[in-house]
Amino acid sequence: MTDPVGSERLTDALLAPLTSLDATAWGAALEGVPENLSRWAARRAAGGPWRLTDYQIRRALSSEEGGSETPFAWSTRTARRALGLAGLQMVLAGDARSPVEGVRAAVARAAGWAGEEGHPRWGMERWLAELPAPGRAAVGAEAVTWATRLWCALDWKALTSPIIIGRDHWWESPHSSLLALRSRADVRTGAVHLVCLSGPRRHTVRAELSVVALVEALRSPGSAAPGRVVGWWPDSGHLVRVDMEPAVLATGMAAVGKALLGGSTGAAA
Amino acid sequence: MVLVAPLSDRHPAHGRDEVLALLRDGAGQRPRFDPGLAGGLRAWLEDAACLVVQARGEDAPPLFLGPRQLLGQAGGWFRSEEGDGEGGAEDGGATMSTPLVTACLVHVLFRQLVTTGAVGDPLVDGLAALRVDPGRADAVRHVEALPVGARAALAATLANHVGHLIDLTPRFAPGWLPRTDDRVAIPLAGGRVVLHGVFDLLVGAPVAGTASLCAVGLTSGGPWARARRVLHYLALLETLRSGTPPFRLALLHSAAGHYGVEDIREEHLRAMVSHLVRRLADPAVTGD
Repeated sequence: MTDPVGSERLTDALLAPLTSLDATAWGAALEGVPENLSRWAARRAAGGPWRLTDYQIRRALSSEEGGSETPFAWSTRTARRALGLAGLQMVLAGDARSPVEGVRAAVARAAGWAGEEGHPRWGMERWLAELPAPGRAAVGAEAVTWATRLWCALDWKALTSPIIIGRDHWWESPHSSLLALRSRADVRTGAVHLVCLSGPRRHTVRAELSVVALVEALRSPGSAAPGRVVGWWPDSGHLVRVDMEPAVLATGMAAVGKALLGGSTGAAA
Repeated sequence: MVLVAPLSDRHPAHGRDEVLALLRDGAGQRPRFDPGLAGGLRAWLEDAACLVVQARGEDAPPLFLGPRQLLGQAGGWFRSEEGDGEGGAEDGGATMSTPLVTACLVHVLFRQLVTTGAVGDPLVDGLAALRVDPGRADAVRHVEALPVGARAALAATLANHVGHLIDLTPRFAPGWLPRTDDRVAIPLAGGRVVLHGVFDLLVGAPVAGTASLCAVGLTSGGPWARARRVLHYLALLETLRSGTPPFRLALLHSAAGHYGVEDIREEHLRAMVSHLVRRLADPAVTGD
């Protein structure tokens, strides 16, 4: 982990030269990975299919630390990322001049969608539409803060186009319909992926980010192009940088194995 | 910090205009801070945190400390007084009471005012805002369980606070990048000690090496001096997070209609670090 004081800024971390990959070592590290993953999913078939998200990976990795399951519910905290990213998309597209305006428009649009014919009447849109105006304002305020912190942290003009905001990438196993893995990043530019982190600093964060790298590698198996995943805590300004390399794939595999098979990852590997 | 006269002496439209003018004043000559300042302050705190870890043991769970533990409890509440739960095992929040519930409601109404520029019925709006935050379920239950008379008294109290807030809270243009509840958490000793707090409102964009933010704090009661110290504490956390402190602080006292504005200086930060180092050496604070 880097020291945030006087250290590289977030933009510098994203734009620093990428480490070149040894194509042979990279190919060897990727070899057999899809097959192994589908085998693990088959072993854990009960309760599947498995569409593993960053949330499930984090839960699995934190289980040793006594993490407890909280049922999902929409709230200011769970809605802020989606609305914040939608707001930033509008700012970058020139449809809003600031995160405040972008989020305001995103909230109004989301709440409006819920009433439109043909639009699904569930999820965040429906929840927002049913909130009284002060509740919606509270949700918007939280999203504005989330978006503004990200907006202020980056030198957007320095990033390489195209900048992709908040698009999830999925890897669907070609060997098993039981398994899919999600790579969630908040900002993507080229082969660099920024993940906004929350909660306390944890020793498992590199493993979490390695799963993002693993999914990106699995999505373009023939390529040995260098890449990077940067995790950033807005609360503290700390960064964690994970550059693509064979060891990162192994760390990501171990994390997925833990999510799929719990404590028996060693045996599975 | 300049403490400006009570609301009753002033024209109702003047408070927020004056706060805004004071925040803008001299904004073109923002102070530069020594680039090594944040590192020096951090090193000082790291030494103290390492002693805490030595005393508690390497395997002890992380110690989350906020203004309540580090600046003492003295009546009145800041948003930062509450554990906000995101850190998992933070300071566990506080026992629900009418003053705390009032502070929670005043805070969400302040947030609404900053975000939308208006507040309707303060109690109705406040409860609606609290209901979308599961961390505030206790506060909602507390209000819902109040007898009719107490609820009416709470509504009247809130109306007084909101009246002052409407007068005092500047309407920031979107370009000021206003954001409420900006949480700061600074890990020390490899994350074994975490200093945390929440800015009620931050405006401005960070600029490397230059103090460019303004922080606005809100207190719904309690001693002015302590509320000011909480802002200094948050300014220190911001220094540790981004390398520079906010260049100017404003404090709004929603019960009395007072406000004050001051520049943050190195001596404020050094005094706060010195205080924190003393508090970290106190077993009553660190739970030894």
